[in-house]
Amino acid sequence: MILETFIIAVRSLNSNKLRTLLSMLGIIIGVGAVIAIVSIGTGSQQQITSNISDLGSNLINIDQGWRHRNSSSTEFTLEMAEYIELTSPAVKKVLANLEASGLLIKEEINLRATIVGTEGYYQEINKYYPLIGKFIDKAAVDNASDVIVLGSELATELYGKQNPLGQKIKFNYNDNNFVFTIIGVMEEKGRGITGDLNDQAYIPMSTYMNKLANSNQVSGFIAQANSSKDANEAVEQIEYFLSKYLGDDDQFRIRSQDQILDTISSVTESMSLMLGGIAAISLVVGGIGIMNIMLVSVTERTSEIGIRKALGAKKRDILTQFLIESLCLSGIGGVIGVGIGYLAAYLISNIGGWPFVVNSLSVMIAFTFSLLIGIFFGIYPAMKAAKLAPVDALNYE
Amino acid sequence: MIEVRNLSKVYQSGEIAVEALKKISFTIEDGEMVAIVGPSGSGKSTLMNLLGCLDTPTSGSYFLDSTDVSKANDDELAEVRNNKIGFVFQKFNLLARDSILHNVETPLIYAGIKKKERKERATSLLNKVGLADRLDHNPNEVSGGQRQRVAIARALVNNPSLILADEPTGNLDSKTEAEIIDLFHELNSQGHTIVIVTHSEKVAQQTNRIIHILDGELVKDEVVLG
Ligand SMILES: Nc1ncnc2c1ncn2[C@@H]1O[C@H](COP(=O)(O)OP(=O)(O)OP(=O)(O)O)[C@@H](O)[C@H]1O
Ligand SMILES: [Mg+2]
Repeated sequence: MILETFIIAVRSLNSNKLRTLLSMLGIIIGVGAVIAIVSIGTGSQQQITSNISDLGSNLINIDQGWRHRNSSSTEFTLEMAEYIELTSPAVKKVLANLEASGLLIKEEINLRATIVGTEGYYQEINKYYPLIGKFIDKAAVDNASDVIVLGSELATELYGKQNPLGQKIKFNYNDNNFVFTIIGVMEEKGRGITGDLNDQAYIPMSTYMNKLANSNQVSGFIAQANSSKDANEAVEQIEYFLSKYLGDDDQFRIRSQDQILDTISSVTESMSLMLGGIAAISLVVGGIGIMNIMLVSVTERTSEIGIRKALGAKKRDILTQFLIESLCLSGIGGVIGVGIGYLAAYLISNIGGWPFVVNSLSVMIAFTFSLLIGIFFGIYPAMKAAKLAPVDALNYE
Repeated sequence: MIEVRNLSKVYQSGEIAVEALKKISFTIEDGEMVAIVGPSGSGKSTLMNLLGCLDTPTSGSYFLDSTDVSKANDDELAEVRNNKIGFVFQKFNLLARDSILHNVETPLIYAGIKKKERKERATSLLNKVGLADRLDHNPNEVSGGQRQRVAIARALVNNPSLILADEPTGNLDSKTEAEIIDLFHELNSQGHTIVIVTHSEKVAQQTNRIIHILDGELVKDEVVLG
């Protein structure tokens, strides 16, 4: 009997294809939007996450805290890197951040650039290596050599297709000119949370402190934990040491990559949750569209209902017929919507350059939701149809 | 057997109450062929709707094969319509978007009969009314006379004891009318009880009995002598 009713319902939808399609449109768009948005959210989040974990989830940033800027207080010094390494067993290596901004000058071209004083270990920590030439090595640090390694963007802007290795370049900082010999050019690197690395240049930390800045003050440190599992422990140990050493918790700020990752994830998650919510509203609107069409359909087919009742259809038969119709509308609309959602998510992920991932849970939820909407918004028109008195329905003009 | 006792129907529309049937009583035996005649607005269709269990009386009782259907609920009435009554309407009342075959099958669907048997029974009846070659056509693709034949096939498909026809030839020309009435005669001779509402004296004269209605009252019950 249900099967027969099902056939009757499908035949009636089939006999007015355009209307059927139009009434499904809201559901199609709603389901499609939910799936596409959730997929885009997950995909772009995965992209950001993998960018960050490329840098190593065992990295910990140590900055000067907010109070530092307001009052005279203890400066970070280079020795602190060693002290942290010694007092924190979970920490493998600590690198000081030595950064200065000035002008790189090659003949008539000059470029604003950030110069970083560093050592060879910088490469391993950032998983960032030279494309040609070499990076700052131990000898260069020991001798405080006047050598420089350029970021890829700096190299192209200054030298184009020329080979910059062995060339001399001037760096103007605090009205003094320093001359460096280029010994390497770094590979290109995508933007990470630390900003664009491609327009930085690197010199030995000893050269930086002894010649350029003439002080041993540093702006911060990057600590590398033994492993990503040790990261939290490392954070605690560093915190413990620094609060003792500086005597004040407000003098510094420690963030592990994981914490940064968590912040970003929660932002993108709430973003896609919000957009998904908006899409879900469009699903409900789609459901109202179905109810509208079903109500029109019941009125239009009053005499059909009358005939069916005269021929022996019970209330239940009419109710299920119209309910199945609205379920089919929302169900088929849901299936088409899933397809369109997949397609849209695929296209957009290609354009955006993040991985194409469809969350099967979101597909199931969106589809089930569309069926529920079919029942919810179909039940009123179906009851209306089922309740019609046979004579009234038959005589309806 | 139809047994009607003091059957009344009042249509209440706002303040105005229309008494369409006033305590009407009669009995129709199995196998009779009865015409109901009367001027427009006299209550013929109202009576037919009650006899067909499409509507319920305001008061009075209606026994169909000794069961009081005036007290039955909606679903029970649907079952009575499905099992015991076949309808033929002036406006044919076919399902416009379904094929002729499917139209005739429809009462059997609601009777819960399997597809194969439905198709056999519907096809054999359409064969009988001369439409065997039109099974897959839609009702709007055949003539008025043919549509009424489809409706008659549909009315017969559940093998009902009672066939109710409200002005079945009202929309047909006289030649087609004669053919349809012949069909009713044939069915009557096979044992179906037939009640026809008609405005045509000629049609009425071809039945066994004429019930005259005026202003909702039975004014004359005459036996036709063939
Ligand atoms: N649904 C209704 N609501 C109110 N009044 C109605 C309704 N149906 C019929 N009537 C009234 O009841 C009376 C009988 O109507 P009915 O349709 O039974 O007449 P009839 O004999 O079939 O007429 P006709 O020969 O024109 O078909 C009429 O006065 C009519 O206006
Ligand atoms: Mg009438």
